[in-house]
Amino acid sequence: MKFNLVDTILDQQPDRIRTVKQVSLAEEYLQDHFPTFPVLPGVMMVEAMVQSARKMLAHHGDPRLVLGEVKALKFGAMVRPGDALDITVEFVRTTDDGHYLCKGSGLVRRSVLHADSNAEQETAVSGRFVMRPLKIASPTKAAPTHS
Amino acid sequence: MRWMWIDRIIDFEEGRRLSAIKNVSLAEEHLHDHFPADEHSDAQPVMPASLMIEGMAQTAGILVGTLNRFREKVILAKIVSAKIDTDVTPGQTIRYDAELESNHAAGAATNGIVSRWVFNSDSTPGEWERIGEINLLFSHIDQNFSGLDFPKENFVFSDNFKMILRAAGLDRLAD
Amino acid sequence: MPTTAMTREDIFKNVQEVLEEALGADPEDITPSATLTGDLEAESIDFLDIVFRLEKKFSTPAKPFKISQGELFPENLMENPAWVSNGKFTDAGMDMLRKRMPHVNFSEFEKDRSVNKVSEVFTVDAIVSFVERKLNS
Repeated sequence: MKFNLVDTILDQQPDRIRTVKQVSLAEEYLQDHFPTFPVLPGVMMVEAMVQSARKMLAHHGDPRLVLGEVKALKFGAMVRPGDALDITVEFVRTTDDGHYLCKGSGLVRRSVLHADSNAEQETAVSGRFVMRPLKIASPTKAAPTHS
Repeated sequence: MRWMWIDRIIDFEEGRRLSAIKNVSLAEEHLHDHFPADEHSDAQPVMPASLMIEGMAQTAGILVGTLNRFREKVILAKIVSAKIDTDVTPGQTIRYDAELESNHAAGAATNGIVSRWVFNSDSTPGEWERIGEINLLFSHIDQNFSGLDFPKENFVFSDNFKMILRAAGLDRLAD
Repeated sequence: MPTTAMTREDIFKNVQEVLEEALGADPEDITPSATLTGDLEAESIDFLDIVFRLEKKFSTPAKPFKISQGELFPENLMENPAWVSNGKFTDAGMDMLRKRMPHVNFSEFEKDRSVNKVSEVFTVDAIVSFVERKLNS
């Protein structure tokens, strides 16, 4: 598996990006989630928004920003194999500690079969999250220094 | 990539709390893409925070599932709040401590603490260090999505979960 | 929190905090007349979150604040055919609404009665009234 949840970028601005994540039964993890009822896991929708935000924010200089915080993020419609998740992420503002507050949402597009219908697009995910720089800590506690 | 984000249940108090661990290993595929080497930097594998949220959701989901002996389908409906302050690299172990906050017919809320194991550099074992918290809201889908076309059986708690429950001696809680 | 001393203004401030956290809404948008589903974009799962947060916010060791299902946000408002006719609540339907939601001011809704507008009666002010009534009961 490649941990890549952005299949294509439809539009990119400095403070806004629109991407698509196609959902296919060929994806391994869908066999487990769930064995008799494959649906895109909610946190993979979050990861798709995070990866979109990372691309959007790359012009600030750090290409490896990671998810640091999530605020009131909700899941709605289920996204099934054959559907696409149409994601929009916007940069809201810089937080007090210099991180990036973003707002994201994902609409389900129910396959090309319904492309010309006027069916209302359903929201699968929406909420706010914060992107921050990596913070790697040692796997061991620093040995006490002897003076 | 399979979809199991906890390895073992390590503590359980019925109706109140459940704790699980997850080992982070370079043998896991997704770590090689998060992040691979590029022209500017070496590879930097770290556990994605989104998957830590899933680890907590699986831990807390089992806790919520035990409330009605896994008869009801429990799904993650809302990430009330989550914060991860330190990234976890291969070779480390993550611990998820989930506690039941509220429970209604329509759903349940859980609070959770995420920790990582920090080894001591001498021969003594080490200790858990808190790196964040994840608070979740679960929906009992039979209550909230009636009319939708769901399988009758409880697909949420699959054989993978039963294996983990059995390993912890908790399969007595399932019907 | 000494609930006995809570004024309506205190309750409003606490409700505002609950909605700010549950909905990720800006405090200036959480006015008394703001509707939950319209102005503040709440969905059904948020109602459960709001109920849990209100319980936590207004409970004291001496007096737990427990909201039963359907008490704040009633369900099955259309289960009885006598309550609705041509997409509008009948007189019997309006009586049922008033009885089940004494915390809601129906004077505005009374004029229209459309079933698909009933969610607009859930304003911030209605939640404040709900909490106030419940604390004093």
